[in-house]
Amino acid sequence: MFRFTPSSLTPSKSTPSSPRQSRSRRGRTLAALALLATGSLALADTIQVGAITSLSGRFATFGRMQQAGFRVALDEINARGGVNGNRLELLLEDDASDTNKALNAAERLVNRKVPVVIGAYSSGITKPLSQYLARVKVPLIVATAIDETITKPGNPYTFRVNNQSSVYTRSLIDQLRKLGGMKTAVILTSNDAFGKSVLNDAASLLPRAGFTVLAQDTYDKGLTDFRPLLNRYRGQNPDVVILASYEEDAVALTKQVKEVGLSPKVIAGIATGFALPDFLKGAGTAAENYLVTMVWNPDVQYPGARSLYTRLKKALNGEEPSQHAAQSYAAMLAAADAIQRGGTDPEKVRAALMQTRLSTAFGPVNFRTYGGYQNQNSVVGLITQVQNGQFVTVGPATAARGKIVFPRK
Amino acid sequence: MDQAAVTALLQTLVQGLLTGGLYALIGTGLSLIFGVMNIINFAHGDFLAIGMFITLALFRTFHLDPYLSLLVAAPAGFALGFVIQRLVLSRLGDRLNEGSILATLGLGLIISNTLLLTFGAQPQSINVPYATSTFQLGGVQVSIPLLIAGLGTVAAIVGLNLLLYRTELGRAIRATAQNPLGAELQGVKTGHIQAIVFGLGVAFAAIAGVLLMPLLYAFPTVGENYTTKAFIVTVLGGLGNLPGAVVGGLVLGVIESLGAFYISNNYRDAYGLIAFLLVLLLRPEGLFGRTVKRV
Repeated sequence: MFRFTPSSLTPSKSTPSSPRQSRSRRGRTLAALALLATGSLALADTIQVGAITSLSGRFATFGRMQQAGFRVALDEINARGGVNGNRLELLLEDDASDTNKALNAAERLVNRKVPVVIGAYSSGITKPLSQYLARVKVPLIVATAIDETITKPGNPYTFRVNNQSSVYTRSLIDQLRKLGGMKTAVILTSNDAFGKSVLNDAASLLPRAGFTVLAQDTYDKGLTDFRPLLNRYRGQNPDVVILASYEEDAVALTKQVKEVGLSPKVIAGIATGFALPDFLKGAGTAAENYLVTMVWNPDVQYPGARSLYTRLKKALNGEEPSQHAAQSYAAMLAAADAIQRGGTDPEKVRAALMQTRLSTAFGPVNFRTYGGYQNQNSVVGLITQVQNGQFVTVGPATAARGKIVFPRK
Repeated sequence: MDQAAVTALLQTLVQGLLTGGLYALIGTGLSLIFGVMNIINFAHGDFLAIGMFITLALFRTFHLDPYLSLLVAAPAGFALGFVIQRLVLSRLGDRLNEGSILATLGLGLIISNTLLLTFGAQPQSINVPYATSTFQLGGVQVSIPLLIAGLGTVAAIVGLNLLLYRTELGRAIRATAQNPLGAELQGVKTGHIQAIVFGLGVAFAAIAGVLLMPLLYAFPTVGENYTTKAFIVTVLGGLGNLPGAVVGGLVLGVIESLGAFYISNNYRDAYGLIAFLLVLLLRPEGLFGRTVKRV
């Protein structure tokens, strides 16, 4: 078990926790002093929150992002006086990218009487986790997983900060329709809960937007040679290629798309692997002008977003943060806020979560029940485009910071 | 079929052949070891992983071009194989046949876990400018790294053949393969020869790893899949038969690619296994078994 102890949050080292405090050096010192005072005197007790993510195994990169998000949120919460005068502490469990280990971890956390659990990273792990925690009546805040079925029909104990997958695909397809002049599409996703969810959404939403779906395929984990499939697509000459993959698959796919000479007008990646800074590094110029849907990018216009970006980057030792870090940050704030209002009884925390009205640097957090989804937060789906090796938000119009390059070069 | 479909099919064939070339390279190493030592090296794919991680480490530390890593990975692979044969396999004595299975399986576990401890579990790739460069050949796009891998395979296999059929060492290796006792009586130090052969086999796996690195990402257990592939290749061609391993590799590459192209991507590994079973059923000695002399 990993544990962020008060010593790991030494005030002198911690970053200024709100943009206001960072204004001047003196302000920073004052804040640190105040923190020292509150840290040693006022924050007498600790409240422990549980979290489960993949610190090892195939989702380790995402786990690292989640950990950074948790850490930044904890620093911020404790710097402003904790929760009802108590220091917030995190019991962080590693699920090693494995469902059974996640369930064991959840059991350990429940035995330690945590009022709420945050996690896990991937959809395939989060779904059974949400069912287990509903059975033992402990609320779960899902920060990152996007499989539709986690909140539809969902259960009263599962709350999701991230959008469900259909929002990602819908915002993309809206954008495609606006661009116009395109008629055909192919969809290729990973063969798991996340990928299948995206595949189903895209396959049903595309025809309604006037597209003919020429092919829809999934690939198994570990497949590294996508060439035959991409060759087939090349023969079909689609206008749009929609991809959904984890991490390095996204890089391998992107390289091979270029290699086989598949050149549609738009290539889009649905969040996840494509939304990682590592994707930009790994795929290099082959990724140029890819559209990537996400809910958070450092250039979003929520107040405090820039400061959040800086703090996340610092928590990652200079590595670029992804949306997964920001989502995890927001999930931790939501947990603290619910404990603040409801206390440490899981049932009361659950009731408090239902009343959550937060606006954070990640965006609004507000769990609603609508359209068959239960306790689902709704965030604006951003369309970013890789331009000169950076994600630039190009849609929707209200959030855009740059102009879309279309058709891709 | 219209023009685009024909091009797509041709392109799939070319890529299948080039990928098959890499399988052939890995299979050749396995086949060589089997031909001379009569053991199956279950750590073969893990030696390939070592080749990949050497390339990765050299690129990260010195920005060394992945192909230049061959100069390090091939000798390192040879030395590693030589030492392992000397320290582990040669001590199995009479129990070489059964013992080698456990010994090489164990070695594989040690290698993959060492890589895990050193490099972490997350998949890692390197990005070189030419990773996605291609050239056109009548509408067919050919990947340059894949072509280099194909050419590297040809060079390695030609080199191995020159060694086996043009040098004194090669004569000794072939003698050891045919009749170890006889060779020993003629003054061939068969223990030494076996160490060289194991070293060569491991070097071939490491070379394949280097050639794969610009195309693929590395993770500690990347080898598992390739051990199976090498085994299929070897059995397709006939155990211990080097030309057979080359043809087996090419056949496997093409079967996989065409299967994924025409039928479905999801049964990719199954196509190779089906071919494998068919060959075992119809020609248990392999496609080339006994029709061509063993090494």
